[in-house]
Amino acid sequence: MDYFEPKTVSEALSLLAKHGAEAKVIAGGTDVMVDIKYKEESGCLINIKKIPGLGAIRENGASLRIGALTTIRELETSGLVRDKLPVLWEASHQFASLQIRNTATIGGNICRASPSGETLTPLLVLDAKAKIAFSDGEKTEPFASFFQGPGKSSVGSKGLLTEIDVPYPAQGSRGVYLKHAVRGAMDIAMVGVAVLITPDAAKNSLQDVRIGLGAVAPTPLRASKTEAMLRGKPLTAALLKEAAAMAASEASPISDQRSSAEYRRWIVEALTRRGLEQTWKAATGKEVA
Amino acid sequence: MSITINTTINGKAVSASAEASTSLLEFLRDTLEYKGTKLCCNTGECGACTIIYNGKPINSCVTMAADANGAEITTIEGLADGDKLHPVQQAFIDTGAVQCGYCTPGYIMSVKALLDRTKKPTQADIEEAVSGNICRCTGYAKIVDAIQLAAQKL
Repeated sequence: MDYFEPKTVSEALSLLAKHGAEAKVIAGGTDVMVDIKYKEESGCLINIKKIPGLGAIRENGASLRIGALTTIRELETSGLVRDKLPVLWEASHQFASLQIRNTATIGGNICRASPSGETLTPLLVLDAKAKIAFSDGEKTEPFASFFQGPGKSSVGSKGLLTEIDVPYPAQGSRGVYLKHAVRGAMDIAMVGVAVLITPDAAKNSLQDVRIGLGAVAPTPLRASKTEAMLRGKPLTAALLKEAAAMAASEASPISDQRSSAEYRRWIVEALTRRGLEQTWKAATGKEVA
Repeated sequence: MSITINTTINGKAVSASAEASTSLLEFLRDTLEYKGTKLCCNTGECGACTIIYNGKPINSCVTMAADANGAEITTIEGLADGDKLHPVQQAFIDTGAVQCGYCTPGYIMSVKALLDRTKKPTQADIEEAVSGNICRCTGYAKIVDAIQLAAQKL
């Protein structure tokens, strides 16, 4: 196996161009090292951790720019992330174990493009964008169109994710990330649901609703039909029930060793209901009528 | 492809070569003969291979050996001062937090890192610090006792 430690993004891109599909990018290594031991060893490993400038969290007007090499623990301990992007903070806090959070990077979690990736549904509901470097220039891709299937994303085999741009949610909005797993720590989510709502000025109805579903389809996805159905309406008990059932119907889960497809749908329904209820209460100060 | 790794382990400068696909755990155990760090799940889920890397607890089984280059590493072998055990090690013995002992080095490194971060850990701090370590013998209560005792002694 060939091994490289590029010192710049352009050096990494040249290596990717030269080694193509043979090459695997590695950062924290918490997923790639497991692949090397149990699945397949790639022909060439490109360790991007020595590239300077990819590990910062900085404010950029009304958004936070997070470098691809930022570790999950750095997100979890960042006052800016906790204050400005609480949904992403919650997912970081529930991410694997402290040991893994100290090593795993947000860029790795994203590029892995696993349907259950902990940070992905929060990024979807926050309308975040990925900055991807290619040899012919940089591309900005919204996460709404970034994920193409398990392990497949717009980064492809020639691109390098350098940064993500996460806009601050609207004033008055409230979000939550709910994870369902057997063990609290370490476990991969059977289902993960991120909900972000913004009430209207009078706090009577849902001006904006975003629901992200994880581990229940080939990619993390937004429950866009449910969102559209809810928009502009006050959240009543009947509507809450209808929305939760609709979100479950938008999921297309598989059965695997962690749970059956049927069970996953129930959990989507339960977590969507819980998420909407919690955020409605937090954002409007009212119970669901 | 073989690479040369220059690192510092328990305060001692070390240089050795390893295949690029080698994990830090394999490098420590098989190349450098630091057998105190344990191999268990080898997928970053059980914490038996926990070491302290630049001040932070990590799973050495899912870290590249190449990342040891230029790093400061502390393993379980670096804790005792001659025959005098580290207070965390002594606390595990005094509270009976060790049964088969296989997970113990990993626990002790997680706890050492916790007590390096904070001298007065809360219950939540303790639970977070060892939530990535699995013990199949003790039922955890005695491990929590050990951590509280170690915190008092330090």
